[in-house]
Amino acid sequence: MKKIIEVKNLSKSYKNLKAIDDLSFDVYEGEILGLLGPNGSGKSTTINSILNLLEFEKGTIKIFGKIMKPDAYDIKRDIGVIFQEVAVFEELTVYENIDYFCGLYVSDKLLRKSYVEDAINLVGLKEFTKFYPKQLSGGLLRRLNIACGIAHKPKLIFLDEPTVAVDPQSRNNILDGIKKLRDDGATIVYTTHYMEEVEMICDRIIILDKGKILAEGTTDELKSLAKLEEKITLEVKKISSKVVDEIKTFKTVDSVIQNGNNLVITYKKGKDNLGELTSFLHSKKVTYSKIFSERPTLNDVFLELTGKDLRD
Amino acid sequence: MTVFKTFWKVVKRYKGTIIGFTLMLVIFGSINMSSNDVTSSFKETKPDIIIVNNDNTILADGLVSYFKENANIIDVKNTERAIDDAIFYRDASYVIYIPDGYEDNILNGGNGNIEIKSSGDYTSNLAEMLLTRYIKAIKVLSKEYSDKTTLLSKVNNALDENSKVELTTKINTTELSRLSRYYNFASYTLIAVILFIICLVLSSFNKETTRKRIVVSSMDYKKHNKYILIASSLYSIFVVILYTILAFIIFGSLTFTERGLLYILNTFIFSFVALCMALFISTLVKNKEAVSGIVNVVALSQAFLCGAFIPVVWLPESVIKIAHVLPAYWYINTNDFLAELEVLSFTNLKPIWINMLILIIFAIIFIILNNIASRKKMVL
Repeated sequence: MKKIIEVKNLSKSYKNLKAIDDLSFDVYEGEILGLLGPNGSGKSTTINSILNLLEFEKGTIKIFGKIMKPDAYDIKRDIGVIFQEVAVFEELTVYENIDYFCGLYVSDKLLRKSYVEDAINLVGLKEFTKFYPKQLSGGLLRRLNIACGIAHKPKLIFLDEPTVAVDPQSRNNILDGIKKLRDDGATIVYTTHYMEEVEMICDRIIILDKGKILAEGTTDELKSLAKLEEKITLEVKKISSKVVDEIKTFKTVDSVIQNGNNLVITYKKGKDNLGELTSFLHSKKVTYSKIFSERPTLNDVFLELTGKDLRD
Repeated sequence: MTVFKTFWKVVKRYKGTIIGFTLMLVIFGSINMSSNDVTSSFKETKPDIIIVNNDNTILADGLVSYFKENANIIDVKNTERAIDDAIFYRDASYVIYIPDGYEDNILNGGNGNIEIKSSGDYTSNLAEMLLTRYIKAIKVLSKEYSDKTTLLSKVNNALDENSKVELTTKINTTELSRLSRYYNFASYTLIAVILFIICLVLSSFNKETTRKRIVVSSMDYKKHNKYILIASSLYSIFVVILYTILAFIIFGSLTFTERGLLYILNTFIFSFVALCMALFISTLVKNKEAVSGIVNVVALSQAFLCGAFIPVVWLPESVIKIAHVLPAYWYINTNDFLAELEVLSFTNLKPIWINMLILIIFAIIFIILNNIASRKKMVL
């Protein structure tokens, strides 16, 4: 597959704090790469360094096979960036904002008009073109922010936490839009600390912490790094310690924790753990009001790799 | 072109502010508080004099006749005390004593040995000038004409050629002081409108988030800033043109007289200082709310300290000293000077050129400060 971004040995420090530590990774054409990590893990610094918005101490960055420099305008022509903060003019309408930012890349008036209209349709702001940013809700404002970044139809798009503080409806709209951009041929680098978003849209994920890559791969590849395979939680009215001890002796069980009426059983592996457990409880005449099984999440992977939660 | 157009779109959003300050200028800058006083004619002044004639000859009588025509002869008692009293009470400003033997002395090529007393004021100088002129003329002509009657006739003919005085400029002092007041008040609205709007517009362009988006775009950031600079300059010129048109509507053709053009030139240079100041402040201040506060402090302090609202002559000496460090002081100083200046000439206008030079130095200082501040902000 064609490499769109090549990052080699990238390092960046803020005074004594190492924000990025010898980072190397590639981004391939047509994929959505998720940069996942808690706040302060170095996601935004990585993107700002790739875009040459920050000076870095060490490393090389190639985009579309060319070295990225502040004056590499031919490369910049095909890059779109959606920053974490909403970057629009309060004095301009939705249409005027998109038109202005698109105009920084596209000078042809007619072409720009069709691009702006496409962007408006993509983010679903057709009814709000004459609205000023102050008149928009948080979700609509985020959509405008995205439209301003992608209106010029870039081949490579950076999205830096575009769904922060967005309502679920707008979030789904944004994520659908990102998938559509990928389907239309764009390569996307997506940073977030929402693991469910990454699982939903990313083809490949890089987990970052303290400026270093902890793990890299597809969702399934990363989940396979987790020691536990399944977690079953059940709510019981009454269960004897003898029955609990018996569950602990199951071959695939890793641990059993009783917390009041809740019993949490984690499994190292196995595929029909839930069936086996319900049969056993039935034979022991243990009644339960609720039972559910969970597969390990990226948060569990992160927890296992770092000993802390993604949202810490 | 996109950047240029967007600049004006953002300016358009603040048209209410521009209209507000302009209305303020029209209302407060053009109030007529005095009646017309046009200096358009010349009135000949005659000095009040006393003549003590101790010769009573033809030539002595000729001198008296000359002064009867060109001065007001005051009758007083022929005593020294009465004459001194007349001078003291300004009934007369000049006394001419024609001594016995005046005629003989003149005919022998002398000056006539005339004695005088003077109050030393302006009209006494005029009387002395008349006397000197007369003696010079009779002394020259006495060499050619020995006949006393002919001599007197020739002297009178020679001195009779009156100078025709025509005023080259007709100064409407009231209108001029109103125009000056208009431009003085404009120092406040001009600073406010240029500073306020440019700072607000540039704070939108310079907002860190927006700036980042512009920097990562395929447009050269320097080129982008060049468009902003051109648009800001054109906006300043637009404000000066607007204020000039308003001045024309209020004051008519006076706006485009030589003097009026100097007011416009002064305003144009001052607007350039305001533009440089605005660019510097907008480099330092990102926050829109802060812009409003800073503009009020800068514009109002200059207006109060430099005489935009009240004439400089009413301000205490200490305030005027402080005002010297503010550009508006030099702008207003030029306006006041233009209102008081009788005749326009390059030499007379020297203080104005110096004031304008000082304003340009202020602009250069703001450009240097802006460059220093901009360099510090280049890297995020």
